[in-house]
Amino acid sequence: MTTHAIHRDKQTGKSLWADAWSRLRHNRLAMFCLLVVILYTGVAMYGEIVYRWHQWHDVTPPYQRTNMELQYLPPSFLLSPFAVDDGEEVSSLKQAVTGISNLMRHPLGTDGLGRDVFQRMIQGTRIAYMVGIVTSLIALPIGVVLGCMAGYFGRRVDDFIVWIYTTFASIPGLLFILAIAMVVGQGLLGVYLGIGLTMWVGLCRLIRGEVIKHKERPYVTAAHALGLGHFRIIFRHILPNVFHVVIVSFTLFFPAAISTEVFLSFLGIGVEGEPSWGIMISNARLRLWHGIWWEMAAATTALFFIVLAFNLLGDAIRDALDPRLRTGK
Amino acid sequence: MSHSRRTYRFILWRATAACAIAFALAGCGGKDLQYDTDDEVVMYSETNRIRGLDPVKAGDVASSLAIARIYEGLYEYHYLDRPYRITPLLAVDKPEVSENGMVYTIRIRPGIYFQDDPCFVDTGGKGREVVADDFIYAIKRVADVKNASTGWWAFNDRIVGLNAFRDASSDGTPTDYDMEVEGLQALDSHTLQIKLKRPYPQLPWILTMHYAYAVAREAVDFYGEEFVNNPVGTGPYVLENWQRNYRIEFVRNTKWDETGRIETYPAENGLENNKTRLHRDPNKQIPFIDRIVQYVVRDRSTQWLMFLRGQFETSGISRDNFDAVITEDRALTDSLRKKGVELLTAPAMTIFYIGFNMEDNVVGQLDDPDLDLQNRRLRQAMAHAMHTEEWIEFFNHQITRPTGPIPEGMDGYREGGIPYPYDLNRARELMEKAGYPNGIDPETGRRLQLTLEIGAAESPEIRQQVELFSDFMSRIGIVIRPSYNNWPTFLDKIARGQAQMFSLGWVADYPDAENFLQLFYWPNRSPGPNHARYRNREYDRLYEKARVMPISPERSELYQRMSDMIIEDSPWIFSHTPLNYALHHAWLENYALHAFPYGMEKYLNVNVDMRRKWLEQYGR
Repeated sequence: MTTHAIHRDKQTGKSLWADAWSRLRHNRLAMFCLLVVILYTGVAMYGEIVYRWHQWHDVTPPYQRTNMELQYLPPSFLLSPFAVDDGEEVSSLKQAVTGISNLMRHPLGTDGLGRDVFQRMIQGTRIAYMVGIVTSLIALPIGVVLGCMAGYFGRRVDDFIVWIYTTFASIPGLLFILAIAMVVGQGLLGVYLGIGLTMWVGLCRLIRGEVIKHKERPYVTAAHALGLGHFRIIFRHILPNVFHVVIVSFTLFFPAAISTEVFLSFLGIGVEGEPSWGIMISNARLRLWHGIWWEMAAATTALFFIVLAFNLLGDAIRDALDPRLRTGK
Repeated sequence: MSHSRRTYRFILWRATAACAIAFALAGCGGKDLQYDTDDEVVMYSETNRIRGLDPVKAGDVASSLAIARIYEGLYEYHYLDRPYRITPLLAVDKPEVSENGMVYTIRIRPGIYFQDDPCFVDTGGKGREVVADDFIYAIKRVADVKNASTGWWAFNDRIVGLNAFRDASSDGTPTDYDMEVEGLQALDSHTLQIKLKRPYPQLPWILTMHYAYAVAREAVDFYGEEFVNNPVGTGPYVLENWQRNYRIEFVRNTKWDETGRIETYPAENGLENNKTRLHRDPNKQIPFIDRIVQYVVRDRSTQWLMFLRGQFETSGISRDNFDAVITEDRALTDSLRKKGVELLTAPAMTIFYIGFNMEDNVVGQLDDPDLDLQNRRLRQAMAHAMHTEEWIEFFNHQITRPTGPIPEGMDGYREGGIPYPYDLNRARELMEKAGYPNGIDPETGRRLQLTLEIGAAESPEIRQQVELFSDFMSRIGIVIRPSYNNWPTFLDKIARGQAQMFSLGWVADYPDAENFLQLFYWPNRSPGPNHARYRNREYDRLYEKARVMPISPERSELYQRMSDMIIEDSPWIFSHTPLNYALHHAWLENYALHAFPYGMEKYLNVNVDMRRKWLEQYGR
């Protein structure tokens, strides 16, 4: 099978990306993880639409509306929604309809202020994605640009950039994030900057190493001979060849950023006034010993699967893009 | 060197204490911790860590409680009367106050003796009689910089010449306690005269605090640094044995019998609903209990289990086991009731509030009377939007809503309901009159946004509290933007008047409404305690008049008028007053919750037979 594939590759001359995709497609676990990631992305987008809609209409969204009468309702599937009151004659159709609507009302129960856990979980997904995307947008460009420059120019520039990232790396991450949150104030902005400005170091190292390898390659020498500018050589010639590193880094960076956000919010130094998973876990902790587990379960399960899916997918992409694995088999 | 040795000894003590507790708890049956109680009445209770027994230095509740068993002051709180009032303890009568309210003359009871102690070298260890100089000495010790007393605020700039004494004590030489302080004079051996710089009608409250308890100079000179561990007082109990961080034991002061000193249980009872329970022993001689044994138990669940096994007479209720102890209608669960456990509830003298910055353009006071009225209506609307029932439900019924700026139990307390009961229609109406129909700010066309500053974000309880409050406000169309700060930043913002709204609380120092009313006095504006920067000339005038008035119906009336002004202007939304809950076993008699419980154990009694039977039945 594999030999056959390689044989066919040679015949058709697939690009690196197409080849990687075909390899990925045959990895069932990876495809399942991709599906999970797409599902989460859809949920996050839905959450964003709900959030924007309520912002636009200037009303309090339902996941923020409290109702102390509905405090700590268990998930509706535990409440036997199809049960009928004694002595009441109800048609089976009506019974089914009320049962289903009961099931839909609070599918994952309510929290200490009577808010729907399911909706808050969706909003938590939105926050997690926002954090993952924005921090990537901050960290990846910094890591890529500095890494390319350090690797390509070498000498003083390299020394300087290496000095910067070793300095950053030597500051304990959490303290750095705390310090940034102090400066810009608590909330999402602090989380974005805190995570974004600390997590580019790993990527920068990898890119620098790759660029150093590539800059002695004949195609770079050829570009030099053609008299192309440094900028063009770096970003048009070398970068596409090391871009797989960025992709792999991104898939590993994303869940790490999400976990960090949850952790920060749990400690009370992250997101405020929005239903982050970390805040849900922190709130749920109060009553866990009373047997009120659903809020904790919803947030932790949601976090667990997204992190797992991204990590597995990241590994699979790395394998698919690794040239040694491609020829080695 | 000596420091390290002390540290080592301290660690050793802690280790010993830990082992001892472990053994005590591992041992079977409650008897291990307890005496055989055939010939004396012993009370067992739990205490927080006691730091020291020097009346001048203690600042924490556990130490103050212990000190008040051993030492006594001129006045004390009446055990059963509410609102709280003061009765003479070592004084003969109320202080004689001069016309201008600046000179207090207090006669001291003759025949009060210090306990026997080796420090009384002249008498061969026999305790001597208490004289006026003992009180002067005690107050001078508070003023002495070298003692770093936690109680200096109570006397600072109040007594003539005391600040000069303090300044003199700040140099390197040993403090000269013979230095004259003009404001503290012993007219004769049993008459104390205090001269004030200006009227200070709160002075008697201050004299009930442990900072003003009689201290024998011989004891301080004799024990030096070790005075903190060797208390010598006149009180109902003396220290028998103290193992730091583990166990403390007090026994009846035999000096009382020896010198024929007789104290009695109060004859009258102001606590209506507890009339019979607290009225078993009127006019009987106190103390009833011979020995008090206390253990330091840090772990809340261990405390609770020890109470359930009858090893402690009393217990508080932590938030964690609240639901397991209290039913929804705020009564005890059946299983506890059957065991004879009784529940007491009383509001604390504390008010938590959401304060408005009265200098803010949107929520504050303005010069233009129309705009000022609009802003006031906005504040009132927000007060009306607080859903009392849901708020109480959220706090698990551990709070009540205040009825005004003066908490229950104080003179001037406003009877009747919450000033702004939950009424959404009324709130929306007020919003409309304030210029925000449905909460829409005409300037932006969107809902009005207000910023609420919060002191600490770490606790999920506080966060949920804020979220619930925000939702209350969103029901009248106001969007609350919470801003979480760390505590110093928060205080700094308030001090500089940069907080639009803020959430804060105030705990009473003494049961005089003046302590709360000063929070709205303009000259006290932040960084002083008037954090809201409330400004009202008429109010200030009344306050200046009332604060120097002696306790009187006229003053109560002034207090009420001031309270009404605050309610009308609403610089605060009165959020909540925590409720104190306490449990005790039925065999502990005469137990009343007191906001200032210092020295009150002398009124308690233990029904030893009842306890023995209970332990036989349940104590396993």
